[in-house]
Amino acid sequence: MTTIQVFDPALCCSTGVCGVDVDQELVGFSADVEWAKQQGVNIERFNLAQQPLAFAENATVKSFLERSGSDALPLILVAGDIALAGRYPNRAELAHWANFTVATEAAEPAKKCCSGSKSC
Amino acid sequence: MLFWQQIVLNTQDQSIMKFLTQPPRFLFFTGKGGVGKTSIACAAAIQLAETGQRVLLVSTDPASNVGQVFGINIGNHIIAIPNITGLSALEIDPQAAAQVYRNRIVDPVRGVLPDSVVKGIEEQLSGACTTEIAAFNEFTALLIDSVLTADYDHIIFDTAPTGHTIRLLQLPTAWSDFLEAGKGDSSCLGPLAGLEKQRSQYTAAVDALADPVRTRLILVARAQQTTLREAARTHEELAAIGLLQQYLVINGILLAGETEGDSLALAIFEREQAALNAIPDVLKTLPCDYIMLKPFNLVGLDALRQLLIESAPQTPVAMDSPIELNAPTLSELVNGIAADGHGLVMLMGKGGVGKTTLAAAIAVELAHRGLPVHLTTSDPAAHLTETLNGVLDNLTVSRIDPHAETERYRQHVLDTKGAKLDTQGRALLEEDLRSPCTEEIAVFQAFSRIIREAGKKFVVMDTAPTGHTLLLLDATGAYHREVARQMTGGIHYLTPMMQLQDPKQTKVLLVTLAETTPVLEAANLQDDLRRAGIEPWAWIINNSVALAQPHSPLLRQRALNELDKITSVADGYSQRYAVVPLLKKEPVGIGCLLELSRYAGD
Repeated sequence: MTTIQVFDPALCCSTGVCGVDVDQELVGFSADVEWAKQQGVNIERFNLAQQPLAFAENATVKSFLERSGSDALPLILVAGDIALAGRYPNRAELAHWANFTVATEAAEPAKKCCSGSKSC
Repeated sequence: MLFWQQIVLNTQDQSIMKFLTQPPRFLFFTGKGGVGKTSIACAAAIQLAETGQRVLLVSTDPASNVGQVFGINIGNHIIAIPNITGLSALEIDPQAAAQVYRNRIVDPVRGVLPDSVVKGIEEQLSGACTTEIAAFNEFTALLIDSVLTADYDHIIFDTAPTGHTIRLLQLPTAWSDFLEAGKGDSSCLGPLAGLEKQRSQYTAAVDALADPVRTRLILVARAQQTTLREAARTHEELAAIGLLQQYLVINGILLAGETEGDSLALAIFEREQAALNAIPDVLKTLPCDYIMLKPFNLVGLDALRQLLIESAPQTPVAMDSPIELNAPTLSELVNGIAADGHGLVMLMGKGGVGKTTLAAAIAVELAHRGLPVHLTTSDPAAHLTETLNGVLDNLTVSRIDPHAETERYRQHVLDTKGAKLDTQGRALLEEDLRSPCTEEIAVFQAFSRIIREAGKKFVVMDTAPTGHTLLLLDATGAYHREVARQMTGGIHYLTPMMQLQDPKQTKVLLVTLAETTPVLEAANLQDDLRRAGIEPWAWIINNSVALAQPHSPLLRQRALNELDKITSVADGYSQRYAVVPLLKKEPVGIGCLLELSRYAGD
């Protein structure tokens, strides 16, 4: 089964509710990840502020950070290859990577990218 | 039999305080600020150590003064106290604990990931929530059996003033419940990666706190309605989380022998006896000890050894030596505040110095002059309405209630950010919002809202005791840095921190007592504030015995002790200052508060 890995910027937590302001995009994406898991998708998230070693130990992620810096996050790997960077995927994209189709559900349009970095 | 006679009999009966008989492994000293928790905890630690026990004394107050009491620097690691065999001490320092935590996360990737990335991680981990949880982990680590704690027979906790401590003691349950209900990696576990691993530690901490064989809680109070009422509230809140083994200590009682020919001493005596007679019912069943008022400052080993022993030797005082004190009144200080027509007035200081009373007195003085005032508090344990005990035109009163603010914040996030989510997504968001971390954010937001009001009217804010207030300022600073980082390129913005730093907007008043430790603590707080770019506007010395010109030998000795402390504030620490007397009546009610701010000596 395809593995989707999401490398988040430094976040307080996956929805960002602990930050000084709640980022709408993060709230939405957290819900999408939960939805994808319910569909049986193998999806993992790594938070730069909590698991920096996961970033350092993955050559692709490490060289991405060296070239583009942490402002270019999030980075999404599908089966180890870069699939998307700089914004979170929507449900249609998640479904596409995982090789299934979204029935009638309207895929949310991708919103503006935000650093998402919140001190907590 | 009169109450004080019972007290004398009671103290003659026993050679050892009840709270120290058959002491369990963990002893917690808690109570309203200024009741003498630290002195009593230190004295108890000395007494146990000197009977051959191995004792660890731990302060959980971010503004700890255990080091000052022993005259040494302690800090965030266990050190042996000189000259007392078997006694070691530790001051849990939230900032240092957070630094250790940051290093643990960041060190493995330093030099591996780009420097800018590492810096970003450190910034992310520099907020109030990281700080609180890091300190909390250090605290719970002391409650479990480990290499760290195996060397000690007793661990004595000198806790921060009530509000902060109740939260600290409730957190193990809160986090355990949260982890229990959480859905693994989807939960907002705050900045603690792998908090799951902490679960067994938190569960063990909850068990230890609720085990009467291992844990005893000692509520410290004075013979005052307010501190007794607070002890009663603490008793109930902590009993509710299973801390049932509780003792009561009433500290600093003035005995009848001191009242002769001195109307102030007599008034204090009568006030104290009335408070003791009206002790809240829930406290009546607790084993209780009484400690008499001492004429000396409780600093140094000799003073501490005498604290828990009765009939301390009295230093003779020359009755005819004059006590002269000419100092500005609070009302004179208010002239300078009133002149600006609006602004934020924040009262800060160690617990128990009277911030709530003085905040109310300043608000009453301003409102009395026809100026619009909002009086509020960020201290979860403060009771402004009890202090005011009345209403006044131009004066509104509110409080930042952490529970209400957190609930409001949760609802707000669910209604706005959660509006478009499906059921599952909404459930996930609700789950995350139950993280104890959100309380910090909610309280900060309420604080910011109130600061904004000060552009139009006066906002007088009674803050929580120092440690907690520093954490709030920390959150304010973190927010400011975050906004500054995002707003590049000449965009105009104004953060709460900038308002606090602007002397035209904000006046910080440091409240202290004319005693050694409170003055040192206020000076430390002043340094902390200056580091944050906030310059205190004035100092207020509260409860001055010297200003009240007493006759009783014990009170005269205390009054004389005050004079050089007042001089050090007037000539050294402060730009401007005021002295407020110890009144015969408890300063409750609007009339009494006006009297307090206008009192200039007999």
